[in-house]
Amino acid sequence: MRLQETFSEHTRDLAIAKSPGLSYFDSTEDKLKNIRKQLESNSDREKLDAMKRLVAMISKGRPVPEYFPSVVKNVSTQNLEIRKLVYIYLLRYSSQEPDLALLSINTFQKDLTDPNPLIRAMALRVLSGIKVGMIGGIVVMGIRKCASDVSPYVRKAAAFAVPKCYSLDASHLPSLIQVLTTLLRDRSPLSLGATAVAFQAVCPTRLDLLHPHYRRLCRTLVDMDEWGQVEMTNLLIRYARSMLARPTIMKTLDKSGNETGEESVDVDPDLQLLIACSEPLLHSRNPAVVLAVTRVFYYLSPSPSSSSLSTIVQPLLRLLTVSKEVERVVLVYILVIARRAPRLFSAYYPRFLVRSDDIAQAKELKAKVLLTILNHENHQALLREFIDYANDTDDTLVGHSIRAIGRVARLEPDCTQQCLTALLNFIRSKHDVQVSTAVLVLKSLVQSQSQSKFPAFTIGTASNSIISTLAYRIDDIKHPQARACVIWLVGQYAADDSQKGEGDGLEGIARWAPDVLRKAVKGFVGESPLVKLQTLTLASKLLVLCPAHATLKMLAQYVFSLARYDMNFDVRDRARMLSALLGGVVPGLMKGAGEEGDVMEDRGGVVLRREQVRLVLFEGKEVGQEGDFAGVDDSTPIGTLSAITNRSSLSDTLLPDWLEQGTEPSLRDTEDDMPQAPAVPHISSSAARSVAASPVVLTPTGGASPAGSMPKTGGGRFVDLDDLEKFYAEDEEEEDDDGDENEEEEDNEEESGEEEEENGEEVGQAEEPGESAEEGAEDDEEEEGSETESEDGAGERSRLFTAGLEDSGQAHW
Amino acid sequence: MAIDGLIILDNVGRPIVQTSFHSTSPAYPLIHIDTYNNALAKVSRPDDVDPVLYVSGINDDKPSACCHVGCGGLRILAPISGDVDPLFAFAYLRTFIDILREYLGHVSASTLRDNFDVVYQLLEETLDSGGHPLTTSPNALREIVIPPSLLNKLLSVAGANISSLSAASSNPFASPIPWRKANVRHNNNEIYFDVVEELRAVVNRSGVSLSNEVLGKIDTNSRLSGTPDLLLTFSNPKVLTDCSFHPCVRLPRWSRDKALSFVPPDGPFILMEYRFSPSSSNSSSLGVNQVPVPVMLKPSVVINENGGTIDLTAISRLSTRAIEDFTVELYLGQGAGAPNFMVSGGGSWAFDPRTLVLRWEMANLPPSSSHSLRGSWTSSIPNPRAARAFRVRFAIQQHTFSALKIDQLRLTGEAYKPYKGVRGRSLVDLEWRW
Repeated sequence: MRLQETFSEHTRDLAIAKSPGLSYFDSTEDKLKNIRKQLESNSDREKLDAMKRLVAMISKGRPVPEYFPSVVKNVSTQNLEIRKLVYIYLLRYSSQEPDLALLSINTFQKDLTDPNPLIRAMALRVLSGIKVGMIGGIVVMGIRKCASDVSPYVRKAAAFAVPKCYSLDASHLPSLIQVLTTLLRDRSPLSLGATAVAFQAVCPTRLDLLHPHYRRLCRTLVDMDEWGQVEMTNLLIRYARSMLARPTIMKTLDKSGNETGEESVDVDPDLQLLIACSEPLLHSRNPAVVLAVTRVFYYLSPSPSSSSLSTIVQPLLRLLTVSKEVERVVLVYILVIARRAPRLFSAYYPRFLVRSDDIAQAKELKAKVLLTILNHENHQALLREFIDYANDTDDTLVGHSIRAIGRVARLEPDCTQQCLTALLNFIRSKHDVQVSTAVLVLKSLVQSQSQSKFPAFTIGTASNSIISTLAYRIDDIKHPQARACVIWLVGQYAADDSQKGEGDGLEGIARWAPDVLRKAVKGFVGESPLVKLQTLTLASKLLVLCPAHATLKMLAQYVFSLARYDMNFDVRDRARMLSALLGGVVPGLMKGAGEEGDVMEDRGGVVLRREQVRLVLFEGKEVGQEGDFAGVDDSTPIGTLSAITNRSSLSDTLLPDWLEQGTEPSLRDTEDDMPQAPAVPHISSSAARSVAASPVVLTPTGGASPAGSMPKTGGGRFVDLDDLEKFYAEDEEEEDDDGDENEEEEDNEEESGEEEEENGEEVGQAEEPGESAEEGAEDDEEEEGSETESEDGAGERSRLFTAGLEDSGQAHW
Repeated sequence: MAIDGLIILDNVGRPIVQTSFHSTSPAYPLIHIDTYNNALAKVSRPDDVDPVLYVSGINDDKPSACCHVGCGGLRILAPISGDVDPLFAFAYLRTFIDILREYLGHVSASTLRDNFDVVYQLLEETLDSGGHPLTTSPNALREIVIPPSLLNKLLSVAGANISSLSAASSNPFASPIPWRKANVRHNNNEIYFDVVEELRAVVNRSGVSLSNEVLGKIDTNSRLSGTPDLLLTFSNPKVLTDCSFHPCVRLPRWSRDKALSFVPPDGPFILMEYRFSPSSSNSSSLGVNQVPVPVMLKPSVVINENGGTIDLTAISRLSTRAIEDFTVELYLGQGAGAPNFMVSGGGSWAFDPRTLVLRWEMANLPPSSSHSLRGSWTSSIPNPRAARAFRVRFAIQQHTFSALKIDQLRLTGEAYKPYKGVRGRSLVDLEWRW
């Protein structure tokens, strides 16, 4: 009966609202009171209903922690649907209600053994989300248990739980590192990505732990899920930068010692492995993966402009078409790469053409990229593009493209005339941005031309005609900055010796200059301070050029007296300064008409002659720095947020620089690669012991120090792990010559070396359980050292590895 | 930290779904929502909001950024902190939206509200609270989160015992192949391939293509039982470049003999994406290897002091096929109003006073037909600046630019013979400058 009732009630909901989901949202207060009762009822349906109501409350942003005790009771329900909702609730509130969550900790622990991997993983996620330091030990136990779970899904959850546990209580680091080493050994690629995340968060500097896994990780890269690929690639890049030798380019010499032009690249085989294994991932559909691989090529190739970079060009261009958002981000990275190697992209300029529906940032970036990749082949097409973009609706793009036209004029002398025509056209435009930017660009072109020492750079006689055009257009140029700029230009280049004062011109002054002054003076009162200042400068310059001319003098006097009572103190100051400067040329500029007082005579100091004043006014005008066309340079890290937002404060993932020599490849040998490598027996606790003994080796020098401390012995030294003792003995022999200053380093070296050895051999130990008992004896043996046998082995191997090196003599040390 | 969480905003910028943001202060998501809404208020075109917004932290919080994408009328924000690649966030957002589409069909504020329990389960399963994606393969997700269906709703309303009927298997992740669930059974074994190509071109006023590329993808819907191992070969694989593949495709096989060997996931997925290179040689010189643009536009736009006139003629260059869903859009510039246009040859025009975009639509352009749009508008701002190009979009059914041809599909590992279907479709997205 009751069932029937509720059925009809609910179907009514269904019919009216057409969406049963909404009914959960419309819960009134008394319905909320019901939730607790529902949660404690026996019916699964009631419970499910209550849980859905709770989740609905959560999504409405209403906190519902008060139901925590009732919800926790349901965590062991048999109904999977309810259980998942319970866990969703718990995942949300366990961190806020740690005390209540503690009450149910037994349930979570029990759930870690649930037959359903989903429940096991969720239980661990809840457990690691409870922020109570006390239970750290329990969480570590849970993680350890799940790290060896049969389901890779649970192992993945275990890996994700590691950083949370670490941030809760850092003192668990040793046992967490132990868990990580277990996880690194995972044969299934599914959980490895999560392991990489945990590794980066917990012990980013313990890269030495990766030695025995490096090659396998490279090979399984392609089988991981896409997110794992990103994380793992980034980890491996860091490993390669801190553990492998810098690839070097060697110029091939022919017999007479000349460069043949061919370059041979000397790349560590392990680095080559990473590059080869990551290359297929360029075909990934996930843009983040493609970019991670791009980073491999960009940061691990011998030199950024080397041919190997061409591999990443097409995949990067493909990303541009994925979506508008991705395009915006990738353009920044392309810009960084293009700054370093513009050649790579120059042929593909059509892919960067700006479309009118692009995002504003993308438009700007595309204009920057186009300008960066501009070269002799594509400059005509790009110039046409820039001229087109100058009519865009986006002011930033307009500004950028007009400035770009100026750049083209400088870079490609043969199209300077075209650029000038285009720029002069923009001056006639009705749009403020176009006019003002064009004037500024023209100004800097004229200026740099007059100072240019390059014979190739020829605006030539055009510069005068530019200024005269600008001068004629002065009435149309309204933008204060542009107007001031034109007036300045007119004054600066007014000197014209060809004018002999015939006809209507003045001697020594370009014909148009006085008229510009007249126009500027006429509207002086209404101008902005910027223009007023330049008008004063123009007046003084013309006066210096032609001090005798009466009209000019009257104009100047008029404008100086206007300026004397100007509202703006800069203008007043400038007028006073200039009139004092001109004191020797044209006395009494500042005098009001009525005052006949001899101000000038009262003033002491130096009075400059006309030539001196001319020098002061005209010379030493440097070309202003061109505005930076991009906020990025080629040192901006690609694949980071800081590159996109252009704030370096975010940057916390700087890549370490290369090691000059790298660590021994034999560290990365495993029984997979070298079945013949003799395994050193260890007791199973060796890993734990080594970690416990030195848990705070937080620098990557574990592997790096051998290379760092023996620079003189060259890169040709590679030894077997089991010959370490021998290796160090020889080291000492050689370094005796250099004195004993390295002794301490050697000690460290030895320690860390041993540690690596132990970690390195862990994989082997499963195969030889019988031998583990002999460890103690083996240790003694190591100390004694068995010289003769191992020496041959080491020598042979080193020859093997150094066969390609130039100074192969070193191999026979 | 990586992706701190996910916030879904409705069309007025209010959050409707958000993850829990355990590790950040409660103000953190609010700041991100505010940053987005403020940025949106500042721009004239909604699309112009920078997809990566810098968010300065409160007090001593680390600065972070807000990555966002639109979806339907919704806006999905992913706050990220630390120096992670924003592409990571965008890739996750894209994946999450695809998953939502698959679960809900149509993604909108109301469908999200209707199925909030499913949405929350999806969020928990796809994003770990540490900020890293967990399970994103739709097949694996289906085993742990039951897709909403009318039947489920009716049953839950009727009070039936769900656990007995629930599709979520008690042993998820049993499949050895991460992207395919185990023990798939279909009554009819069928697989469909939709080859969809899009021509994107920039054309100058005289009709010459400045940039011209065809991007294609193969939408696949697989409904095959068991664990079928497929081998797809093309008769002209040379036309494909810059390929990207679904993870199921075996890459070595492709690089060896340009054949796709894969075990498909169950249901719809995108098998591969590619770019069509008209000539197999990879020369970049334009003009030689271009795809002809299937329409001809004769634009004449005059802009004067207080408005402008447009005279636009569109001629279909196709001789046999019809052009469908033809739209032309032009942004008329700030202050545009009082549009007065006439169309000849069918279709209709509309002007959106909010976005200031003039739109001319035609459902069908018969082969070799000619249509025109004439008229003028006025502007309240002197010397208006209209967009410098028309945006032209249309579709051509049963046609691909690359003429990509599937040679054969071989199935191994299963005994049945599947029904196969292949379809082609082309989209065109032109920017025609005037």
